[in-house]
Amino acid sequence: MTSVAPTEGPSRRTEVLAVTSALLVAWIAFALLVWIYGESPLLMGRLLLDGTWGTAYGAGQVLFKATPLLCTGVAVEVGLRAGLFNIGAEGQLAVASVAVAVVGAHVGPLPSIVALPLLVLVAMAAGGAWAVLPALLRARFGAHEVIGTIMMNRIADAGIGALLGGGLAVAGSVRTANLAPSGELPRLDAVLPALHGSAASFALVLAVLLAFASEWALRRTRVGRELVLVGKNPIACAAARIPVPARLALALTLSGACAGLASAGTVLGYKGYYEMGLGAGAGFGGLAVALLGRGSAVGLVLAALFFGTLQQGGLAINAHVPREVMDVLVGVVILAVSLGDARVRRAAGRASLVAAT
Amino acid sequence: MASGAQAALRLSGIRKRFGAIVAVKDAALEVRVGAVHAIVGENGAGKSTLLKIGAGILAPDAGQIRVAGEEPPHYDARAAQALGIAMVQQHFALFGDLTVLENLILGAEPSRSAGRIDVAKARALATRALAGLGVTLALDAKVKELGVADKQRLEIVRALYREARVLILDEPTAILTPGEADALYVTLRRLATEGRAVVVVTHRLDEVAEHADVVTVMRRGETRGTRDVERGASVESLAAELVGGALPPEIAPAARELGEVRLDVRDLACGRALRGVSFDVRAGEIVGVAGVLGNGQSELVRVLGGLLAEDAGRVAAGSIEVVHEDRQSEGLVLDASVEDNLVLGELGSYTRRGVVDDDRVHATAVARIARFDVRPADPSLSARALSGGNQQKIVLGRALAREPHVLVVAHPTRGVDLLAARSIHEQLRAAAARGMALLVVSADLHELRQLADRILVMFRGQITATLPPTADDHAIGAAMLGGQTAASA
Repeated sequence: MTSVAPTEGPSRRTEVLAVTSALLVAWIAFALLVWIYGESPLLMGRLLLDGTWGTAYGAGQVLFKATPLLCTGVAVEVGLRAGLFNIGAEGQLAVASVAVAVVGAHVGPLPSIVALPLLVLVAMAAGGAWAVLPALLRARFGAHEVIGTIMMNRIADAGIGALLGGGLAVAGSVRTANLAPSGELPRLDAVLPALHGSAASFALVLAVLLAFASEWALRRTRVGRELVLVGKNPIACAAARIPVPARLALALTLSGACAGLASAGTVLGYKGYYEMGLGAGAGFGGLAVALLGRGSAVGLVLAALFFGTLQQGGLAINAHVPREVMDVLVGVVILAVSLGDARVRRAAGRASLVAAT
Repeated sequence: MASGAQAALRLSGIRKRFGAIVAVKDAALEVRVGAVHAIVGENGAGKSTLLKIGAGILAPDAGQIRVAGEEPPHYDARAAQALGIAMVQQHFALFGDLTVLENLILGAEPSRSAGRIDVAKARALATRALAGLGVTLALDAKVKELGVADKQRLEIVRALYREARVLILDEPTAILTPGEADALYVTLRRLATEGRAVVVVTHRLDEVAEHADVVTVMRRGETRGTRDVERGASVESLAAELVGGALPPEIAPAARELGEVRLDVRDLACGRALRGVSFDVRAGEIVGVAGVLGNGQSELVRVLGGLLAEDAGRVAAGSIEVVHEDRQSEGLVLDASVEDNLVLGELGSYTRRGVVDDDRVHATAVARIARFDVRPADPSLSARALSGGNQQKIVLGRALAREPHVLVVAHPTRGVDLLAARSIHEQLRAAAARGMALLVVSADLHELRQLADRILVMFRGQITATLPPTADDHAIGAAMLGGQTAASA
């Protein structure tokens, strides 16, 4: 109906509706795709669940896959709150991964208690630094952050390849040197033996902390609150003397820092080094997580777990249907949920469509 | 007026709530062909909501809608348009980058084969619609280059182009100068005489007395009676009906002591809009700025408020607060709470080690809601849910509460009802009496005369005259049009 006037923000009911309908659409798409491959949707669904939440190992793998997604999801969310669309989590994560791998290889003399916080800082600083240029371009000249961050993704991609080829990699390979032992983040199975064999690490704890800390900061700190207000109406904020360009620049930089933390899950807690392509896709996965998470920390965690389940589940049914089916599903969910997301429409800019008053 | 005539639009038992707020609780309205029907009432009385329901833009929770005696099976904006009901809202729905013609035909383009637009036919139709209204608009002009009054005419022409038989206008004169408002009513009378029904929401009772055939009063979500307006009806009797009792007289301005210069503007220039503007305002003084829309007043306010950078010149002021022209886009974060809006830009004073002290913010918001009578008195509500007048109270209250040395206010009572306007005027006078220096830009000459100690007239980016508040409409009007006859005060 055309008569629904945009007088109120989305209610809880429409939020729930958006998420459940997206999940329903995803299930239908899954069933269709599986059916095309001649398999039974119900059976494949069963296999998918068994391979993920059915065993402790599977659950651990889901947690492992969800960890970087949660970080990049928080990153995208922080940007969206300020009215910015950070498409650059991919590049920010890659740059942070190289940075922690390089620094981490040299922290041997330091004890873990010093080395790990240092590496976490390095990860966030590197991710943030990779967002600074588009942030400044946006704040100072109004250059659209989507263009800026995409460009930085390309630069990261090409630049890292050149660096690895130019001597950063261990001779004869495309990977960096191993982390010093004190730079390795412990696996979760150190405290939960049932998860033995899975790659879930304490990076998950960091990611969950990040989600709740950022929610708290956006709600309770002055800068956070102003970020959100700027996201809703930058002109009124400028008129009220809130430093809008500075807030926008900070938002995108913080967003990059959150994306950078995802490297804790991939480099510090899993591989122990960086190789070309490690963590690829997690940046874009963050878009899906943020859109499905509907703006709350709990929502983001659940969304990250959902997409982690899809990723891991893809492996579980790989013998019957190609696991790329899961990538299709991720796309379907993004589309379905973003249809109803006002923030996406705002961030993507309806510029010339505004009333001519 | 023959009461037996068929009602073009009839609403009865209408009820509508937004979350916890009941916007309309029991409203009835009968609009007759051939009449100009005025709707009056305080801010938040439910006028806009009721009419949006009439135009199918909002769906009522309960009630009956009849168009030309029939109850449509399904009623939304599209159905209403098909039934010949059109509404011109306070905020225009035009595309600034398209031309007048393109805006006119958008969505109802005359087409040739293969979906091509029949431009020649569109032009002919548009020209006819314009002529039928007796207005001239350049069909090829970009809409963003039009003045406010022309945009409004375009909206009306667009409704006629779509063969509207009931035309609803929400506060059309709030943005017009007195002359433009008179011209609008001439147009509306013509439409009514031609057999259409016209509904106008207004706050100006003199307009009702002068131009309306019928008036309906709304209060607190209810329609409180409809009556015919006799030519020459007294504004006082209408006012008494409107506020539910006799209107208290506006307090006569008391003489104030003027102090030192608080706002000193010298040779201010900005693009073509401001070309060397100089004036000062003293503590305790209220200086008015008059001018035909588009002569630099808006830019002056925006430069003083820091939204626009000056090219040359100097502004010296102590602490300064600016209430901008467009409260919805420049004054408020509509999707944030009333509380957030009441302290917008002030969070720094409620922050300790980076963390906001919510209790103090809340206490401040509650105090300001009480002081400026913001209704409903709920700080957690989204600012969007409030009526225009109450939104204005937030923006103005926020500025006043900060007790700046200089307060610049653009259109303090635009779209605000009588009682609220009086209260705003009293607050501005009280602020001046406390020693604040005020600069008030307004399109309402009556308002400027009531408030200002002197009136600056702007013409083509310059101040061309300074007049005493005792100057009559003719003198101010001549100066607004660039006349050099105006004497300096």
